[in-house]
Amino acid sequence: MSQQSLFHSSATRKRNWYGYLLVAPPFLIMLALIIYPASLAVIETVLVRRNGVVQFSLQRYMDFFNTPLAVTNLFFTLRLTIITVALLFLICFPIALYLRFTVSRLSGTVQFLSLFPMFVPGIITAYALIRFLGANGWLERFLEVLFGYEGYVSPYLRPSGIVVGLVWEGIPITVLILTAGLSQISDSLLETAQDVGANRWQIFWKIILPLLQRPVLIVLSLNFLGIFGAFTIPYLLGPAAPEMMGPYMQRTFNNNLPSQAQVQAVITFVISALVSVFYVRAVVSQRLEQGE
Amino acid sequence: MSHGTTSAENSLWRDFLQSSRRSFGQMLRQEWYGISMAVLLALVILGPMLNVFLWAFTQRWRYPALLPTEWGIRFWADTFARADITEGFITSLYTSFFVTLLSALICLPAAYAFARLNFPGRTPLLLSFLATNAFPRFGLYVTIAVIFFRLQLVGTVAGVVLIQLINTLLFMIWIPTAAFQGVDRTLEEAALDVGASRLRVFIQITLPLVLPALSAALLLTFVGAFYETQGALLIGVPNVRTLPVVMILLINNQVVVQYGAILSVVLWIPSVILLVFAQRVLRGGTLAAGFGV
Repeated sequence: MSQQSLFHSSATRKRNWYGYLLVAPPFLIMLALIIYPASLAVIETVLVRRNGVVQFSLQRYMDFFNTPLAVTNLFFTLRLTIITVALLFLICFPIALYLRFTVSRLSGTVQFLSLFPMFVPGIITAYALIRFLGANGWLERFLEVLFGYEGYVSPYLRPSGIVVGLVWEGIPITVLILTAGLSQISDSLLETAQDVGANRWQIFWKIILPLLQRPVLIVLSLNFLGIFGAFTIPYLLGPAAPEMMGPYMQRTFNNNLPSQAQVQAVITFVISALVSVFYVRAVVSQRLEQGE
Repeated sequence: MSHGTTSAENSLWRDFLQSSRRSFGQMLRQEWYGISMAVLLALVILGPMLNVFLWAFTQRWRYPALLPTEWGIRFWADTFARADITEGFITSLYTSFFVTLLSALICLPAAYAFARLNFPGRTPLLLSFLATNAFPRFGLYVTIAVIFFRLQLVGTVAGVVLIQLINTLLFMIWIPTAAFQGVDRTLEEAALDVGASRLRVFIQITLPLVLPALSAALLLTFVGAFYETQGALLIGVPNVRTLPVVMILLINNQVVVQYGAILSVVLWIPSVILLVFAQRVLRGGTLAAGFGV
């Protein structure tokens, strides 16, 4: 049941045209609920009606970039996304290395713990982190009672709160992909390197890292896309200003400014599209190399 | 060591201490990396969850006590006496049910076609459902909300069901497609040879074989819709409030801590079922493979 086999036809030779009939409903739903709204947003934001004539114009986008609040929020989102993506990698790479090269009861525990957040819904994550990290929360109590430290500043409702929440949520998928990438490096290759006298550092720098380029690219771009488009965690854990694009768009829409919200949405589409180019290229080149 | 012991006892004790310290030290040296990682992860990952569990059984918790000052379950009755919470629970149940039903009706026949029927463009069509993941989620929701607003679907159950349907398409097509492909065709052909009808073969042979994967897909869909927050908040408010939306309102209004904690514990139960079940059905690297690694 692997994904590779999904695309190899086990279908009969005979052509069944009524296959289209069965495939049409989800396809049409996708067109109506994804392709149509997204394209409509692009079209409506670049067309302006002047004196009854519809013209192409980037006026709405210039308005966005001339609004200080909007630009602040956009760069705030980009900065926070990059910081979170980098932190996730730095935290999860050691975990993935450990999971790949150790087999013990302890590594099972580490795996369980690092995958655990995947099964906690975002809303509960947000609530738990507010109670844990917030003012007078458990963390502050422990710091004060055990270490006598009284200078605790809660990240709740600060930009750091968003980073903590998104890192918490992002650990499972990052560990999963990095571990999968590491497990594609065969033991025999590493043993051969050891036999010809390579030490641990040489194996790490000369073999593991170069072979890991694509999984790393995949995980960085995938995390970027998820975090850049995040809503629940920034909405609940972040400050009122500056905002990440998710809460900002929601507020714009709720303030009855739908066309501004469309402009903001299209800008997130464009930035995400630029990043997904890296993702798609990494996936495709990996597939080609594996001969699929 | 007390002063009254003999020297023989003393040296024995010292030997024991030394040897046990050595083996423990050895274990630490070999496993320090794993141990420190497990401890750190346990603190960071389980700490917040444990904290919420404690709050759910707390009557009073003064600062800076590390544990509740007064335990109790009085707030459980209060929580479920709140109209917004019970209504939210009912709303969540039926919206998730509609999403799962609609998704199954739309996607399962398509999955069967993708697995079994031969038609031109089959693979590109199957791949095209990746488009559901191609857009930054919330940006896409905003563009949908603009259209739903014009169609007066904002604040309706239909609007919430439709926006939650988007997330389910990929899972509900890809997992069952793989399941239908995994069925050994020779079994079906053997049954056909001995005279069973096509319908009977499907019900008695094909269906039991794909049932675990189908129920996994249905479960993932239901639980995913139940917890879906951003679409429900954007489209549902103010008339349709699912339980996650009620919880957001509780957090924003800073009401009694216990309400949110009790709700978290209750909300989390379906998720635990998913944890156990998904582990059994979707074993190994299937998830990572889904991301193209």
